[in-house]
Amino acid sequence: MAETPSEHGKQQEPGLLSKIVRLLTDNDIYRSFFRTGYPDTLLKRMAVMRSSFVMHILPTKVGTHGLKLGYTWCMGGITFFLFLMLTLTGVILMFYYVPEESRAFTDMKDLKFMVPYGMILRNMHRWAAHAMVFSVIVHMARVFYTGSYKAPRQFNWVVGVLLLTLTLLLSFTGYLLPWDQLGFWAVTVGTNMASATPFIGFEGPFSEFLGVRIDNDIRFAIIGGTRIGANALIRAYVWHCVALPLIASALMVFHFWRVRKDGFSGPL
Amino acid sequence: MAEHVSESSGGKGAPSRRKFFLITGWSSLGLFLSGAGAAFARYFYPGVLYEPQTTFNAGRPEEYVKPVNPTEVVVDERFKSSQRVWIVRSSKGVYAMVGVCTHLGCTPNWFPGEQRFKCPCHGSNYNVEGEVVAGPAPLPLFRAKIKLAPDGSMIITTGLLGIKRPELQYKKSTLLPRWTDEEKIDIAKAPYFLEIKA
Ligand code: FES
Repeated sequence: MAETPSEHGKQQEPGLLSKIVRLLTDNDIYRSFFRTGYPDTLLKRMAVMRSSFVMHILPTKVGTHGLKLGYTWCMGGITFFLFLMLTLTGVILMFYYVPEESRAFTDMKDLKFMVPYGMILRNMHRWAAHAMVFSVIVHMARVFYTGSYKAPRQFNWVVGVLLLTLTLLLSFTGYLLPWDQLGFWAVTVGTNMASATPFIGFEGPFSEFLGVRIDNDIRFAIIGGTRIGANALIRAYVWHCVALPLIASALMVFHFWRVRKDGFSGPL
Repeated sequence: MAEHVSESSGGKGAPSRRKFFLITGWSSLGLFLSGAGAAFARYFYPGVLYEPQTTFNAGRPEEYVKPVNPTEVVVDERFKSSQRVWIVRSSKGVYAMVGVCTHLGCTPNWFPGEQRFKCPCHGSNYNVEGEVVAGPAPLPLFRAKIKLAPDGSMIITTGLLGIKRPELQYKKSTLLPRWTDEEKIDIAKAPYFLEIKA
């Protein structure tokens, strides 16, 4: 166990703290969780990374350049943190908010003024969403300007572009949910743009060849009707709360796994 | 690889049989997935809509106030929020204008002092005829059809309210912010205009 006393130089006096640590870590329950004993040697630390599900996302070794904060600004990490925060606050908001025309706006107002801590939760959700759009863009700018998108990381850049799109779509689908004038008209305008899509939008070029009309074009599929109403609201809600976060999570897992496999990029 | 497979499985026909199963397997999977994908896409097109009716009774034309100044119009907003339609009374008669901005679909507001419709979204301005006088809108405001019911009240039809132009305006040749001369004649008579004598 302690074959390498040179590790820290002081192995002799087992103080109270190390006795407690020994008590907590030197048992079957701890080992069944973490697969290794207390990681007090370099080898065991590497074994923890390799064998624990929780730790496997971390590399066993990190180059010094990977620790340079000034290089990455940790913008990817901040983005992920914001996503977690949005998931958490979003789920909490779902306990009060009902996506129904006559309730949506008052539920949002209730959350702000009647629900204990509702105001802070809604604002956390709102501001974290704004911050996430910002941090994704800064993250991508950093990746671009440091050339980190280059081989072998090209494909992860593609995944990143998809994640940017999903971030924007998450923001956009959340826009309608307060059912206020701002969101309502912004989504009216935004979804009307879809009707100018070539072939599949009724106002777009070549749509007449496919017989695309107001009541069967892509905009109709997005808002579930010809005008923003109850169908559009529930669709925005389901995309916002379930479908898009699931897709984004799946892509994020892949994104991180690729970062882990390719290693952190460093200064050229 | 192929030789190895045929050797180990004995017969000479083995690789082609394996290929056959491979093709059949993958193509059935492909067929299944594309069917499921098509069903998934179709699912987003509801079969029934519960939207407001696009035909409504707007009452008798006499109910609408005639403008004092013959060059101006009086815009009645009573159906604006429920139907997105303005009933416009000019000195000569009545017409129904759809309250959907042809830029990106917001509802403009009527400013009687300026005799203009102004869209709050990106600032399109329309004159009383619905022609674009400022802003990004590419087309004049849509007109709804008016039909007189036997009891003398007006039946207004917008088609798919506020989005699709009635056939008159749907011609591709009208992609101008102003009515063409030919269209001006059309919108000044039934069913887009209800003349009221005296
Ligand atoms: S929607 Fe009216 S100006 Fe853009």
